[in-house]
Amino acid sequence: MGLSFYIYERSKLGGVIGGGLQLFFSYFKDLVGREVTVELKNDLAIRGTLHSVDQYLNIKLENTRVVDQDKYPHMLSVRNCFIRGSVVRYVQLPPEAVDIELLHDATRREARGG
Amino acid sequence: MSGGGEKGSMTTKTPADFLKSIKGRPVVVKLNSGVDYRGILACLDGYMNIAMEQTEEYVNGQLKNKYGDAFIRGNNVLYISTSKRTLADGA
Amino acid sequence: MASEEESAVKEPLDLIRLSLDERIYVKLRSDRELRGKLHAYDQHLNMILGDVEEVITTVEIDDETYEEILRSTKRTIPFLFVRGDGVILVSPPLRTA
Repeated sequence: MGLSFYIYERSKLGGVIGGGLQLFFSYFKDLVGREVTVELKNDLAIRGTLHSVDQYLNIKLENTRVVDQDKYPHMLSVRNCFIRGSVVRYVQLPPEAVDIELLHDATRREARGG
Repeated sequence: MSGGGEKGSMTTKTPADFLKSIKGRPVVVKLNSGVDYRGILACLDGYMNIAMEQTEEYVNGQLKNKYGDAFIRGNNVLYISTSKRTLADGA
Repeated sequence: MASEEESAVKEPLDLIRLSLDERIYVKLRSDRELRGKLHAYDQHLNMILGDVEEVITTVEIDDETYEEILRSTKRTIPFLFVRGDGVILVSPPLRTA
């Protein structure tokens, strides 16, 4: 159901699914179960296992730990969390989960539809 | 894009007509942050995303950077104004 | 609609499309700059960059002279998803036209 499926759907429909383009939603679905670091716009960085993602790129993380624990001691007991997509600045991706060819292909298809 | 048609820039009617008429012209783009970008307007879209050429970045009136091509995300744009170009290109 | 794509810049996002697989410069809100190879993007300017160098510029005030001191902090990240709403400007590498 991830990026390959996205590319398949795109080619089938000739790249004219109106509106809801979702390259990154598909990409993040592929990433479920992997360790990522989410950096928020308030500078808090949380590392954890990606549990799920939705179309807004809201993110659920499990087994979380705050990267800079000295600065955010009150986060010590937080084991899992829901992050609203709009507060995300970056997500650091595991290199083994980045298929560059697949991303290029999906991006070209997305650009054609957009 | 609807609008006026073959009007010259002096009789520009709508904002969309204005934007159409200034493609290829030297412009100043001011962002909400106060930063100015001067360059040649290559094109723009409905979100006011902007593509510029020979772009110079001015912070507090001081030249800070130059870019051959630059894409500016529309949500940052305060205004677009035509300008008399300083360097490079007379017009 | 499809055939003479690739080269021409008709809309601003074409500038980004032509930069796919190239190193680009990205200026972000809160005084951050990125340089990295563009691997994916969408119409919001969400992006995935590779071999990323991030520079954060902070202003400190000298205790005695009250002068502003610019300090830049650098770090590198192998692969980074960047949320588009923080993007101010993207500049592709210089192209020979």
